[in-house]
Amino acid sequence: MAASPDTLWYKDAIIYQLHVRTFCDSNGDGIGDFPGLMQKLDYLQELGVNAIWLLPFFPSPLRDDGYDISNYTAVHPSYGLLEDFKAFLAAAHDRGMRIIIELVLNHTSDQHSWFQESRSSRENPKRDWYVWSETDNHYRGVRIIFVDTEMSNWAWDPLSKSYYWHRFFSHQPDLNYDNPAVFEAMWGVMKFWLEIGVDGFRLDAVPYLVEREGTSCENLPETHAIIRDLRKRVDQEYPGKMLLAEANQWPSDVCSYFGDADEFHMAFHFPLMPRMFMSVQLEDRKPIVEILEQTPQIPDSCQWCLFLRNHDELTLEMVTDIERDYMYDEYAKDKGMRLNLGIRRRLSPMMENDRWRVQLLNGLLMSMPGTPIIYYGDEIGMGDNVYLGDRNGVRTPMQWNGGWNAGFSGADPERLYSPLISNPVYGYQAINVESQRRSQHSLLSWMKRIIHVRKTSRVLSRGSIEFLKPSNHRVLAYVRQLGEEKILVVNNLSKSAQAVELDLRRYKGSIPIEMFGGNLFPRIGDLYYLLTLGPYQFFWFRLRRI
Amino acid sequence: MAEETFLDDNFLRQLMSVGEVDLLVGIPSHNDAKTISQTVITIEESFQHNFGRDRVVIVNVDGGSRDGTSDVVLNTQTPKNPNSRGLSSLRTLHRIATRYANQPSRGAAFRAILAAADLLRAKACAIVSPETSNFTAAWVKSLLQPAYRENFDFVAPLYSRHKQEGLLARNLVYPMSRAAFGQRIRELNSGELGFSGRLAGHCLNLDVWREETVRTSPEAWMAVTAISSGFRCCQSFLGPKVHSLTSSGGDIVTAVRQAVGTLFWCLEHQQSFWMGRTGSESVPTFGPEHELTSEPVRVNRKRIFDLFLSGAAELSGVLKSILTPETHAELQRIATQDDRKFHYNDELWVRTVCEFAASYHHAAIDRDHLIQALVPLYRGRIYSFLQEHHDSSPEDIEAHSENLCLEFERQKPYLIERWKANE
Repeated sequence: MAASPDTLWYKDAIIYQLHVRTFCDSNGDGIGDFPGLMQKLDYLQELGVNAIWLLPFFPSPLRDDGYDISNYTAVHPSYGLLEDFKAFLAAAHDRGMRIIIELVLNHTSDQHSWFQESRSSRENPKRDWYVWSETDNHYRGVRIIFVDTEMSNWAWDPLSKSYYWHRFFSHQPDLNYDNPAVFEAMWGVMKFWLEIGVDGFRLDAVPYLVEREGTSCENLPETHAIIRDLRKRVDQEYPGKMLLAEANQWPSDVCSYFGDADEFHMAFHFPLMPRMFMSVQLEDRKPIVEILEQTPQIPDSCQWCLFLRNHDELTLEMVTDIERDYMYDEYAKDKGMRLNLGIRRRLSPMMENDRWRVQLLNGLLMSMPGTPIIYYGDEIGMGDNVYLGDRNGVRTPMQWNGGWNAGFSGADPERLYSPLISNPVYGYQAINVESQRRSQHSLLSWMKRIIHVRKTSRVLSRGSIEFLKPSNHRVLAYVRQLGEEKILVVNNLSKSAQAVELDLRRYKGSIPIEMFGGNLFPRIGDLYYLLTLGPYQFFWFRLRRI
Repeated sequence: MAEETFLDDNFLRQLMSVGEVDLLVGIPSHNDAKTISQTVITIEESFQHNFGRDRVVIVNVDGGSRDGTSDVVLNTQTPKNPNSRGLSSLRTLHRIATRYANQPSRGAAFRAILAAADLLRAKACAIVSPETSNFTAAWVKSLLQPAYRENFDFVAPLYSRHKQEGLLARNLVYPMSRAAFGQRIRELNSGELGFSGRLAGHCLNLDVWREETVRTSPEAWMAVTAISSGFRCCQSFLGPKVHSLTSSGGDIVTAVRQAVGTLFWCLEHQQSFWMGRTGSESVPTFGPEHELTSEPVRVNRKRIFDLFLSGAAELSGVLKSILTPETHAELQRIATQDDRKFHYNDELWVRTVCEFAASYHHAAIDRDHLIQALVPLYRGRIYSFLQEHHDSSPEDIEAHSENLCLEFERQKPYLIERWKANE
């Protein structure tokens, strides 16, 4: 089955995010690779996802898990060859899956040949490809992102005896987009991968491309101009390809990255994510409703990307101080679980392995307006290891079975790129794909079912949302609508059973049909519609007029 | 079941929607539309600043307002914090409202609030008055915190008072309740108080709600119930209390009928508890123990004295049936004194009150009439107090008050003796 030519395919996508290194090792060196990943495409197809977002797989010194790229047009030797990638891409396309790769525009590794040339002398033609300064006094007041490790956005280069600008780690110098040659070089990188056939890019650290004195150096008009130029070239030369923005900003700021449908196709809704966790813990719909009601409309062809967990810490930048303290106290009591302004934990441990809460959160993820992203391993409830440094605790090997190295690799365990999760609750002997495949009632089977149900209607992927506001605040209810098709979603955010009366009179005459079981519920009439929900239960109803 | 439910279906529906809460603040109201909006805003300000993570609800229980008081409660907009990107509190701040009757009754309002607290399983509750114009967010915290965090069950307020304010409490209610029930709680009759969910459930289940005393003055009854049932009591300092201009205030007859009537009623109903107790103990207090101010206040003492004389004369026959001959004679004697020499001393005053209480117990005459007969004598005592303390410092007044309390404790055996007379 070939990938659909629908240019809005990203709206209907269910994206699976993974790192090649973590998924499957085919050659027994302890590190996942493209041939291994290719072997697992059937599994992903069986799960029901139709797009894969690959974390950086390029040559890199791996001081920031591959986001420190030293060569943009090759594959890291640990993961295979470029030919292996091409074979994987073809196999994915054969299964109707799109492939989204990372593009780190903002910075390179300090090992990249561009930077090596740039620092080599002040006369080098690539000197101006990075942001150099004689002093570290420029752009004062610009926030430091990695507050736990960096003291300044400037770093001293002893070789060229000047400072270079970096918004992330000091080994990741920022490129200078005021130099048109840098833009053309990056466009060359994009063309390289588009020619091979990738379906989209997740553009990392977008807000920081351009620096200007007296500003926050974030979200500047010049940055938007660069994005518009890239988008224009993609649309003209590679129609149907998608650009996804990583802009960890408030909705009103992120919205500008959609432009007039002439910048990004998609952007992450960062502020919504922590509020989903908050709402479940508070048993109160307020945080979710409040942030979505503050989210501006976006152009029709654009789409939000929604996620619960990913490869980074659960970022708490887009919350108020009170909210952040609450999240820390509820989800990261152990200080070791905190990193920068976030929480480095996986979904299941954060939910204390409560199956119902995990399902509810996935239900929210799949029914809110946007394209859902599933982080690898969360579909089986994998655990984390907060004792590993940085964010490595959520990047441990995929747990395929209860056997040798969890079925991830044939290498000696000591050789694995990361220790496996092996505790009695989340260890690979307890949590793995093989065992969950054997049960219709496992989390994995449930995930397959909800993905299947989600894909039965475009209402959930493309429809509008209107919140119902029943007086019971523990219940989050909304109607998604696309054309005449409507889906009613009712979520009990509480750990206890709840009754709710919904004002559905405008849908009078419709019959709610529960989408997982297909059962009919009483026809909607003139009275408030009474529903009772068990702890953390949710319903999706198709509203049919028959 | 003793009677039909007193919670209407609409209120019950609102309670269902709120669900379990940690904190509940009740506002009994009657025609308070002009002031209640600020009360609501202040409570929510306290919720946000002091209890940001807790499940909270404001319960307005209205006694048939004609000015849309409950609508104001439900529709008041809380100012948004400009520094939080329009994001307000962490949780939903609930407000619900119900009308219990078309006639104001504090007891009925209390009962509805206690029922709400019980059904919502509130851990700590407070009741506040919309008529208090200097009500602050700190008050809400002071009333809720001891029950919520310190495991107390009853939180009595303490106010900063002018030395000529609160004279009924200072001369009668506090010293007598302290001597009788053994705990030094200064404010038994206040529009503000805090309590635990445990105490709310306990009080709700007592079969007293049709008693006139409880219907009109439930605060003191609740305090005495807490003491006599072994609940942990404390006091929390709030600061000065100022009534709003719309507040009706209250005349002295009504005040005595309510405060003394309730106290005597409580003595009657808790006699098995207080009879065997001697002395008194202080209760934990959050903030200053007490605070008196002494700015000059104009009081028409001459009028108070005249009312004492005329009342004592008019009610002489009634007083004879209440008081012992000795006490009655002594009162007659001091009533003949020149106003400048008049002195209603502590010993005689305490004896008077004890004999009134005993007569109340014996129902020597109609109990309401009996309480009203105390009013002129109370005026005499107040006149004497004001004369004596016209130039006294707050410390002197406090020292005198303590002596009066000790006099009540010293005469407690006399009270018991009179109480048991003829039995």
